[in-house]
Amino acid sequence: MTDSASIYLDYAATTPLDVRVRAAIDACHAEPAGNASSMHAAGRAARARVEAARAEVAALVNAPPAAIVFTSGATEADNLAIPGAARGNPDRGRHVVTLRTEHRAVLDACQRLEREGFAVTRLTPGRDGLVDPAEIGRALRVPTTLVSVMLVNNETGVVQDIPAIAAECRRAGALLHVDAAQAAGRVPLDVVALDADLVSLAAHKIHGPVGVGALYVRREPRPTLVPLSFGGGQEGGLRPGTLPVHQIVGMGAAYALARADAGAEATRLTALRDRLWAALSRLPDTFLNGHPTARAPHILNVSFGGLDGEALLYALGGLAVSSGSACSSASGQPSYVLRALGRDDALAQASLRFSFGRQTTATEIDTAAALVEGAVGRLRALAPR
Amino acid sequence: MASAYSDEVARLFEAAPGSGRPDGPDWATGEAREPLSATHVRVHLRGTAGRVAAACYEVRGCPHTVAAVALAVAELPGRPVAGLDVDPATLASRIGAPAMKLGRLFVIQDAVHDAALQLGPRRP
Repeated sequence: MTDSASIYLDYAATTPLDVRVRAAIDACHAEPAGNASSMHAAGRAARARVEAARAEVAALVNAPPAAIVFTSGATEADNLAIPGAARGNPDRGRHVVTLRTEHRAVLDACQRLEREGFAVTRLTPGRDGLVDPAEIGRALRVPTTLVSVMLVNNETGVVQDIPAIAAECRRAGALLHVDAAQAAGRVPLDVVALDADLVSLAAHKIHGPVGVGALYVRREPRPTLVPLSFGGGQEGGLRPGTLPVHQIVGMGAAYALARADAGAEATRLTALRDRLWAALSRLPDTFLNGHPTARAPHILNVSFGGLDGEALLYALGGLAVSSGSACSSASGQPSYVLRALGRDDALAQASLRFSFGRQTTATEIDTAAALVEGAVGRLRALAPR
Repeated sequence: MASAYSDEVARLFEAAPGSGRPDGPDWATGEAREPLSATHVRVHLRGTAGRVAAACYEVRGCPHTVAAVALAVAELPGRPVAGLDVDPATLASRIGAPAMKLGRLFVIQDAVHDAALQLGPRRP
């Protein structure tokens, strides 16, 4: 194996904490302890830091700060949104619509609702990963509580047409939840333009800390949500518990940084993504997964015919990328997202997701391309023809 | 990821000793596949006087499969063609493959059986 441990191209999994975010967190730790719910001076200071962070998160997504509910991450936000809205809106029916390509946090939340008696419609997008909004509209003929569609797919980077989906939801009176964990700071994310009722956000996907996220909850009309836990009035009663001020401050700092350089960074990442694809697409029997243009700048998913994905990942040594193969896990199944896009088991299994972030350089891209080319060539030479 | 593999797997995967395609007409070929993981093993045997004289392989599979087939095929020369076999459980144990990979190693056994079957009528 080639020693390539220093090249990290797995930013869609998590991102390194930005030093400026770390500084903000450290500064928070240096302050006197204070519970953000306390009325004394230290508590009020903590509350002020939380509210400043809330304003930063809200600003990135063009929401009023009061619409932001802090959670432990996007998974909790998805769970607060989906079961929370389904259980809280019995007048809207007992039907949820989602896509087969959604994140497990959404699919498993929907499965949980199914066990509670809700009907769940799981639509299959086209081979390019895009769902036709009209198809969602057709699924909404049954009275529907909620539609959940992610803005940027975490495996392929495909960007859905959320405003068109929202229009279908409005016509049918269904709520719309959008998992935007991979979207914040990567693509324009304006909750007003999306016309979404609920939007899940994460911090650690854009150089913030792990363990904190948020759910945008539309203010007017405000959907009713049933909380997942009980025991305090924090976050409007939707997410009780003492607020982790330092993590929230970190999320606020990460979102402020993302807002400051969003356009330039997206342009830079797009160029890196296209540079890598230009190199990889020269290899025979190599396929781009997902729509060629409707996709986020920081994710590139490629299938390589004629080899094993796990072997490819191993042959790449320390090059940190994700595989469409789950073969090192107990499931042993190829990527369900790529299977939903019509890839056969072999190509779904022999895929790599490259994802880029603030520290990614063109030199790293070129080195990664050379490493992949070498590994693909070697494994194909071993394989039966 | 690297910690999921033993040193033996790392060594055999890196070198893939004995891999390749046969270079002459006296070879018999057997193969087997496992569709879900797209594992594909092809074993080539050349026989002399009812014994395996030479063996090589081609493989598309995970690192455990590559390591196991390298290990198995290296030990085939000299063995009688009749009843030729490799034991997946033993291979798994020798390379430290987890139980979930055992199914893929049966592909190696099937390919060896098939190759021996192909070779048998030619070189009784």
